[in-house]
Amino acid sequence: MTPETADDLALSGVTVLELGEDVSAPYCGRLLAGYGADVIKVEPLAGDPARRHGPFPYDIPHPEKSALFLYLNTNKKSVTLDFSTASGARLLRRLVEEVDLLVENQPPGHLEGLGLSYRELAHLNPRLLMVSVRPFGEGPYGRWKAANLVSFASGGQMSLTGDPDREPLVNAGHQAEYQAGLNAFAATLTALLGLAVMEVGQHVEVSAMECQACVLEIYLPHYAYTRSDALSGRRGNVTSAVLGLYPCQDGYLGIHATPRQFAALAQAMGREDMLTDERFRDAVSRLLHNDELEAELCAWAATQTREEVHRLAGEFQAPVAPVLNLEEALSSPQMRARRFFQKVDHPLAGQRVYPGPPFRLTDGPPSGGGWRWRAGRAPLLGEHNEEVFGELLGLEGPDLVRLRAAGVV
Amino acid sequence: MYRLPLSDIRILDLTTAWAGPYATRLLGDMGAEVIRIESPGNWDVMRSLHLLGRDVERAYNKSAYFNHVNRNKLGCALDLSEARGRELFLRLVARSEAVIESYPAGVMDDLDLSFDVLRQAKRDIILVSMSGHGRDGPDAGHIACGTHAEQMAGLVSLTGYPDRGPHKTGISYGDPVAGTSAAAAVCAALLYRRRTGRGCWVEVAQRESMTNVIGEFFVGFSMNGRQPPLLGNRHRSMAPHGCYPCAGEDRWLAIAVGSDAEFAALCRIMGRPELAADPRFADVVSRCRHQDELDDAISVWARGRTPQEAALALQEAGVAASPVQSVTDLMEDSHLRERRFFERTAHAEAGVWEMDGVPWRLSLTPAHVRLNGPCFAEHNEYVLRHLLGLSDEEVAELERQGVTADAPDEGVYA
Repeated sequence: MTPETADDLALSGVTVLELGEDVSAPYCGRLLAGYGADVIKVEPLAGDPARRHGPFPYDIPHPEKSALFLYLNTNKKSVTLDFSTASGARLLRRLVEEVDLLVENQPPGHLEGLGLSYRELAHLNPRLLMVSVRPFGEGPYGRWKAANLVSFASGGQMSLTGDPDREPLVNAGHQAEYQAGLNAFAATLTALLGLAVMEVGQHVEVSAMECQACVLEIYLPHYAYTRSDALSGRRGNVTSAVLGLYPCQDGYLGIHATPRQFAALAQAMGREDMLTDERFRDAVSRLLHNDELEAELCAWAATQTREEVHRLAGEFQAPVAPVLNLEEALSSPQMRARRFFQKVDHPLAGQRVYPGPPFRLTDGPPSGGGWRWRAGRAPLLGEHNEEVFGELLGLEGPDLVRLRAAGVV
Repeated sequence: MYRLPLSDIRILDLTTAWAGPYATRLLGDMGAEVIRIESPGNWDVMRSLHLLGRDVERAYNKSAYFNHVNRNKLGCALDLSEARGRELFLRLVARSEAVIESYPAGVMDDLDLSFDVLRQAKRDIILVSMSGHGRDGPDAGHIACGTHAEQMAGLVSLTGYPDRGPHKTGISYGDPVAGTSAAAAVCAALLYRRRTGRGCWVEVAQRESMTNVIGEFFVGFSMNGRQPPLLGNRHRSMAPHGCYPCAGEDRWLAIAVGSDAEFAALCRIMGRPELAADPRFADVVSRCRHQDELDDAISVWARGRTPQEAALALQEAGVAASPVQSVTDLMEDSHLRERRFFERTAHAEAGVWEMDGVPWRLSLTPAHVRLNGPCFAEHNEYVLRHLLGLSDEEVAELERQGVTADAPDEGVYA
């Protein structure tokens, strides 16, 4: 990947203070930093809790070697600051005066309790945009605690995931928190566009529960409109015959055919006869004969390998795909051809592989020019204390020593 | 009163299905003027996903799925594969900030609407191209629905009950992830243009945006070379951590205990304080080891109450818990009601109902549902007559040529 100069990036010149822990606000910060913003991450003296989550190399915990932390905090600067102390809160206020954006996912009420509410901070910096990422948001559940599992349950997606004869299932990783962070990132960019016109900042609140409730596919819209709960509940790996995961010879394959793609599916299967079969001729008849169609697809899938299915997908533009594991996804010819995964060095964690950006911003054909994305590393804990407190705030060496001795920095 | 942040932004929307339209819904929510261009012969398949039955008149205007994803937009019928349709489209490009499309790779070139052509119509135009796998590489020609992205990115291989193998997500998850990423992409491009004066071509590959939300697994794989085991609802370093049956049919409660203090609080609420002192559950290591027994004890307690009352009791004691909310629960949920999340909408053809509101709360510029999902061709007059300045005769001629229409060709239904 070609190195980008700072001036070439979409968010060059935007300064951000991140009071983010674990996943949601840090993911927002990762995207802001990757697209060019100058992000200062304020960590507690013990570091972002994500530093304590693995995986770690050789399973040996080390605060600078957590894969979760390393991934979520690329291209940021790290300072340590205990802003629950009066001295710490003073320093934080001074930082707030220097930035365009504050992104945070502190426990609800925490900042207000320290005199660091949006209202108080906006007084210091009227152009400040403050973005608060919350599991629930202000309201009756405003002070509720959440972890990813609980947040995922609250937004409706969990009730739709899993087998009908088993408990509802959570998606792997931190999907409720990622959705909140991704929404916060998009909302932040929108608010930045508005700022230029308004000349005054505002407070943006993103609730993970609402972000999820907005994307319940057809399920919530259908219920809201018809008041019929016929579509609610979990359907295992086969939602309907043409939308499911089927076992094949060496794993699983996915089928997802909209009505207009059914013909391509039948062709890829070598079963054009299904197109004239009364039972499968159109979307309504396929729904009426769903179980029979599912049996046909299941029998066909059992004869296939994933590689063959991938080839058919290309040949017929058929709506089928292989289920890939991490190694296969990493080494797939497509990802290699697009140089999507990038090697990034880190002084303690070593050279590791990181996904590239969620979108590529270019001046010409996407494969030609640069991506306007930075592929840097995550910071060491407090790595930028001198730079930020010294150069930005003008503190001198002895001041920093005093703050360190007092347990503030 | 401040105007919505994207008030002066006009976006031409050529996307269909869920991912692209979700991107433009978010942009429309934030005030952009989104004009959906639909071809009379190849209209958005979402209009046909409604489960209303074929006998319903103009059902294509009554799909709740379509109307939820396309609120806050205008609709215009225009066939871009006709020379006259293409020419009018380029005149719209000259008066817009961005074009967003989700065609398979190569279709924009085939329509002679490449980025270079759009740039000739407007020097600093922004083009956002959404595709399944990206516009180059061996898989560029493959189509991808939302579930294919999660299958090929690796998420499905990581999700599932330990005893049953990989599991799909409950929704076509790749679509809203790509859609939200694409909404951000439009804004990033607008910020880039504002600073540099240059337009740009942004590419959102669904498979790549999906990989982003499981990024730590790849960093971890590059450390250890291991595929993590399926965990079901369990967690590597929290216990108890799971989903428990409650009173009623198919009612569930999610609990995540992150510390010894939270575990003690859980035991107190369950009326089983002795469990907190039990050596099998004394610390997180022993709790992880004895999770089955722990889950049994919690299930016995949970079965006696509704998920709502159980969650409330646990939250009051400082334990993270939530009912596993179904769509029916969500629409009655007191928290969302108090936040006025759902908004009542009166649609000229589809009737009156409530839809999910705007997930981003901006304090000075609160956003709402201003426009219903457009009926097919609903804003032809605004676009063709007002924006493009065509005469009645010219519009009638377009209709005769099939370049525009006031109703879709229902022959392409299935």
